[in-house]
Amino acid sequence: MRPSLALLRTTTFRLALVQAGIVLLFVVALLIYLYVATIGQLNADSDVLAEQEYAALESAYGEGGMRRLNQEVVERAARQGPLLYVLAESNGTVITGDFPQLPTVPVGEAIEQVDFSFERTDEGGGGERGRARGQVGRLLNGPILLVARDLGDTALIAGRITRALWTVAALGLISSLAIGLIGAWLASRRVEALTNTTRDVMAGDLTRRAPVRGDDDEWDELGHAINAMLDRLERLMHISRTAGDAIAHDLRSPLTRFRHRLESALDAEPDTDADREALRKALEEADRLLDMFAAVLKLARVESNPDWRFQRIDATEQLRELVDFYEPAAEEQGRTLRGEVADGLVLNGEPGLFAQAVSNLIENALKYTPEGGRIEIRAVRRQDGRIEITVSDDGPGIPLADRERVLERFVRLESARSTPGAGLGLSLVAAVARLHRGGLHLRDGLGDDNHRGLGAALVLPAIDAAAAR
Amino acid sequence: MRVLLVEDDADMAASLKASLTADEHDVEIAGDGELGESMALNGGFDVIVLDRMLPKKIGTDVIKDLREQGLSTPVLMLSALHDEDHRVEGLEAGANDYLGKPYSTRELLARVKALWNGRDRDAQTRLQVGDLEMDLLARTVKRGGKKLDLQPREFRLLEYLMRNSGQTVTRKMLLENVWDYHFDPQTNVIDVHISRLRSKIDRDFGQSLLHTVRGSGYRLEA
Repeated sequence: MRPSLALLRTTTFRLALVQAGIVLLFVVALLIYLYVATIGQLNADSDVLAEQEYAALESAYGEGGMRRLNQEVVERAARQGPLLYVLAESNGTVITGDFPQLPTVPVGEAIEQVDFSFERTDEGGGGERGRARGQVGRLLNGPILLVARDLGDTALIAGRITRALWTVAALGLISSLAIGLIGAWLASRRVEALTNTTRDVMAGDLTRRAPVRGDDDEWDELGHAINAMLDRLERLMHISRTAGDAIAHDLRSPLTRFRHRLESALDAEPDTDADREALRKALEEADRLLDMFAAVLKLARVESNPDWRFQRIDATEQLRELVDFYEPAAEEQGRTLRGEVADGLVLNGEPGLFAQAVSNLIENALKYTPEGGRIEIRAVRRQDGRIEITVSDDGPGIPLADRERVLERFVRLESARSTPGAGLGLSLVAAVARLHRGGLHLRDGLGDDNHRGLGAALVLPAIDAAAAR
Repeated sequence: MRVLLVEDDADMAASLKASLTADEHDVEIAGDGELGESMALNGGFDVIVLDRMLPKKIGTDVIKDLREQGLSTPVLMLSALHDEDHRVEGLEAGANDYLGKPYSTRELLARVKALWNGRDRDAQTRLQVGDLEMDLLARTVKRGGKKLDLQPREFRLLEYLMRNSGQTVTRKMLLENVWDYHFDPQTNVIDVHISRLRSKIDRDFGQSLLHTVRGSGYRLEA
């Protein structure tokens, strides 16, 4: 990512720009209000005052002529007040008033509104600057009369406030842009980290994970979500990779045998009995291959999480039926199969998969328990509300170190090589458990010492039996 | 029996036709869904074997339309899609049985016959094979007038065998119809159940009724 330009394109920076615009608008509105409320009002007051004063003096002039006017102006100018007066001859020479010279204002025949700056010496002899606003005009026979109001401190304060506001506006503008840029930069760094992660993952490094700071903010939440997705992706990739390898490996032997049988039968002299036997064996081999494919496909389908039709399953009934189903076979093989299933176990799931998962556990136990062995199926509702179905046996068990591994597909322990099967039974159970938001846990079984026998516990979320009806 | 085979794979269709013909059925083939539907409506077939994935019109649509038009001929649907959802979909569309690919020819032949035999099954309340009698209302079984004590599961197993007497019933058919299980047990569970049933219905009697058909399944026959 090119930082300079890219930063300006970020959402955070755009938001900061909008924010700066809003600050500017607000300041302008404030200025307008302040102007109307202070200077505007002051000007209006001044205009009224000057107008009245001018009219009073004009009428004094009308009544008593130049002498009276002069006297009035002298008296009024002497009063301490905000009003300023100047009486000048028609050529502009000041006769009397607050200024020694007529301020530079346009003087026409008609009365005019004026607004001017002035400078005069105050009582202490220093210079005094100010602004005034009022009326100027020529009276009858030519003398010039100026009446104005000294706008004084109020105008000064208003001016200062206005300047301060413009300063604040400029600072606000600059700081919101700066905050925007910094925010955008910080955000872009985290986005960049996520982008880099996804880029690395796309390049094939499935172990990469998005950084999580532990702030528990929305970025962390996004990071966690991406990481969870990557975990699942990695697992699925691993599964499909190992499955591919395992299929290639495990199918090679049966396919070779299959080919060899057909080849031998073709090469040998025709012999009906031997040919039929060869064909029968080839057929068995083909069936095994098909079974294995079916198992792989089923596992893939369960693991890829399609929309299974979940429904209410009476686990108590299903489990008792399964015990009932397998019990005669166990007895026939000289093993005892006992079921202890609690009442009222109900769950939400896919009935076919549930039955198959439990049956896989039972068959596994039957397969590995020696003659005279015991198999026990216990199903209870745990304190945490989950259903735990344990199939335990007193067979050879699985060493602690291998217990995780056997849940992966196609993993068959050396000790199991002599028995038929593809090593998919437990992985299917684990996948079914995951699909139902549960788990499969392997423990010790019914054996006497620590590591004898296997206990496979399928833990699934239950639904309330009464509520489910 | 006249069988209509709706299958677009010509090799598969020819091989199935040969097997069905060898089993003494008259077979006609339709290569796509539309043709299959019109032949089914006009041909007077006893059983229809319908592939699910077909050109022009898929199997489930064909069967829905056939049922809407009042045709009640039993239909066996064949499909590579045979998870529970797909089976339910096929059966809800109107199929009477559903067989997942790959299947063995024996399985298919057994199911075709079972469909034909089971046409009026619901109307029957008494079943009889030789001197073996089952009263479905009283839920009793007698052989040679002697009452047999069967457990509920054995009763259902025997009921299914009696309804399909005289023909081969595969292990898979028993699993699906008696237990409603759609997976293959690796152990010989079915054989054990059969052998227990056999000991009850055959042991004390001279003639055996329940026969094992090597490599396929069982047959109940007088």
